[in-house]
Amino acid sequence: MAATATGPFGFAPAIAVLPLVAFVVTLLFGKHLPKKGALPGIIATAGSLLISLVMFAAVGGGNAYHTTLYEWTAGAAASETGAEGVAFTFGVLIDPLSALMLVIVSLVALLVHVFSLGYMNAEGETGLPRYYAELGLFTFSMLAFVFADNLLMAFMFFELVGLCSYLLIGFWFRTESAPSAAKKAFLVTRFGDYFFLIGVVAIAATFGTVSFAGEGSFVTAAETAIDDGATLFGFDAQTWVTITGLLVLGGVLGKSAQFPFHTWLPDAMEGPTTVSALIHAATMVAAGVYLVARMFGYYALSPTALSIIAFVGGFTALFAATMGVVKDDVKQVLAYSTISQYGYMMLGLGVGGYVAGVFHLLNHAFFKALLFLGAGAVIVLMHHEQNMWKMGGLKDKAPVTYYTFLAGALALAGIVPFSGFWSKDEVLFDALIIGLEQPVILAAYAMGLVAVFFTGFYTFRMVFLTFHGEPRSETAEDPHQVGWAIKVPLIVLGILATVTGLVNMAPVAKLLDVDITFLEFWLDGEYGYVEGLTYHAYHETVAFEEGVIGGSETTTMLLSAGLSLGLALAGAFTAHTLYNVPEPTRHMQKLGGAYSLLRNNYYQDEYQVWLAQGFTLPLARAADRFDQTVIDGIVNGTSTVSLFSSNWVKRIQTGIVTNYAALLVGGFIALLLVLGYLGGWFA
Amino acid sequence: MTVDVQYYVLLSMAVFCIGLFGVLTRRNALLFLMSVELMLNAANINLIAFAFYHGNLTGQLFALFTMALAAAEVAVGLGIILVLYRNFRDIDVTVPTTMRW
Repeated sequence: MAATATGPFGFAPAIAVLPLVAFVVTLLFGKHLPKKGALPGIIATAGSLLISLVMFAAVGGGNAYHTTLYEWTAGAAASETGAEGVAFTFGVLIDPLSALMLVIVSLVALLVHVFSLGYMNAEGETGLPRYYAELGLFTFSMLAFVFADNLLMAFMFFELVGLCSYLLIGFWFRTESAPSAAKKAFLVTRFGDYFFLIGVVAIAATFGTVSFAGEGSFVTAAETAIDDGATLFGFDAQTWVTITGLLVLGGVLGKSAQFPFHTWLPDAMEGPTTVSALIHAATMVAAGVYLVARMFGYYALSPTALSIIAFVGGFTALFAATMGVVKDDVKQVLAYSTISQYGYMMLGLGVGGYVAGVFHLLNHAFFKALLFLGAGAVIVLMHHEQNMWKMGGLKDKAPVTYYTFLAGALALAGIVPFSGFWSKDEVLFDALIIGLEQPVILAAYAMGLVAVFFTGFYTFRMVFLTFHGEPRSETAEDPHQVGWAIKVPLIVLGILATVTGLVNMAPVAKLLDVDITFLEFWLDGEYGYVEGLTYHAYHETVAFEEGVIGGSETTTMLLSAGLSLGLALAGAFTAHTLYNVPEPTRHMQKLGGAYSLLRNNYYQDEYQVWLAQGFTLPLARAADRFDQTVIDGIVNGTSTVSLFSSNWVKRIQTGIVTNYAALLVGGFIALLLVLGYLGGWFA
Repeated sequence: MTVDVQYYVLLSMAVFCIGLFGVLTRRNALLFLMSVELMLNAANINLIAFAFYHGNLTGQLFALFTMALAAAEVAVGLGIILVLYRNFRDIDVTVPTTMRW
């Protein structure tokens, strides 16, 4: 049922407005408030969570909501497909996907706000009102992005979250590295967003609409255009959909830190750990993947775009996982694992596994926020030491941190029955069945599968180095204590990371033949839904064929699950052998040449710097020279010539009336003669 | 008896050329003004002669206009000459060249 009953949905805009109010209040009065402005943020995000849960319940009750709040401009331009006029609006779209995402974002935001009390306030940081104001602005932008009902609104809030990311990475702006990392993050994501902007303009110009849902959506328009065999801007309709889809994908790759735009995320760890948890793991980085899910109907129309998404995702998953293996900084390991996990989501979405991708997004938000907050707790324990080689033995001294971190690690590594297993398995299964028919997808699947081993390895290397063995420094022997503000969010997320996988246990459902794949039902419109934005609508559009191994889907599924679980366990076991000893030593040197390659992140930074300095800079210089000499030369030349010539011509202005009269008469006679000649007097 | 129209045209042309010669050669502003009057009246002769030749009153009417115009022009011209004299103690038109660039 696609009812658009207002009811509780009337409060939907308040989800985003509450954090905005908190932002303003904290910005203006933060200094005078108790806890330096943490309270408005906590109250606002708690309110947002509450309303989000109400929305979630309302969608569960069979409703959905799509409305336009404000039209800020409308034009009469005719679009390529013939639709007259285009309107740019702000609107709210609450469907199963956005309701789910709203709950994730507001929950993680609330927990991070609470955690900040322990991580920032208790540690005596300065500039806290600024910190909380920026967190509030971020939460506002992210929530508004999630319920955006059109592509342009999504783009605007997409940019706003990028700005907040920049501000928060550069929170410690007096250090040398933080502002540089902030600039890098901003520039790299902006580079991707540039393509996104062109994509938005292209879609608006093509279909005359940027709406996600309903009859007037660009998805519907694109489907009609393909069915009609229309030609758009000189391209076959499907080719054009691929082109515009890939342009938008530029923004997605930048924001979700996918290859080749992933280099900013590890550097972004310069920001406070709470920020890394909220922005660079659970929410903002998810914005890219969420956008693909949001306009999945559009991508579903283009098998080429989907294959590219899947391949980039699979490649990034493996690429980032291998780099995570050699890092010493606990946050760096997590940063590379974040990139890798978003690669899995892209792989899942790229093979048409809409449910699998969203499922992994949901699980990842919880377990990665947990791991980052856990890392934050470890950093507090260690008096702001982040090098894992100086830790060790924290297991007994901080049991709450240890066990919650372990839950997150098991989920990340994909060990049954923790959440990550179920979603990663589903992603890989979806990739496998498509891959059996499509070699490109099979390659992406293979890379994703190999990455499972590395994931298990680096995750448990991190756990063993941090918590097991003997303490390797004085601070590790006598760690700082952590308060309730740190423990409570960890426990909440620890429980979620353990159990969220149970909402969609596809393998169990298939083996026992019971209907327990609740997330699939949720996204498939069993409850409230918006027409066209459901899993089976997408599934019908996606043109991939599915294959099976051994003639049965169950065999294929068991094989896939067993393979990924086996690899994850193998990775964890390798880490156990190498690092779960009282005095672990570095084994990285054994990798030889590969070690320095990994250590330097495949020289990705170097090649991007080279690209900037060796290519863009000379190009910019040449353009500058062209501007200075040719363009300015023409402008300046025109004025010089006219100045010089007028300097001569002005000399005929003698100031003597008689001369003027003579010129007048002479001119008249000359005119007369010319006209006479042309008129034929002298012929 | 009537005079042929070409004689009027010749007369008018002669008067006009005298006026033009005055404008181009004289330096005294008053003579300047008189030369302009001559040219205007040469035009008047033409207008009236052709009005008579064509047998309608349009030319005569315009001659009246020209006279009114000439009167106004003289008033303005005399004003300029007065100011000229006051500023330069002279009415030689080649003296005040300061108003150019």
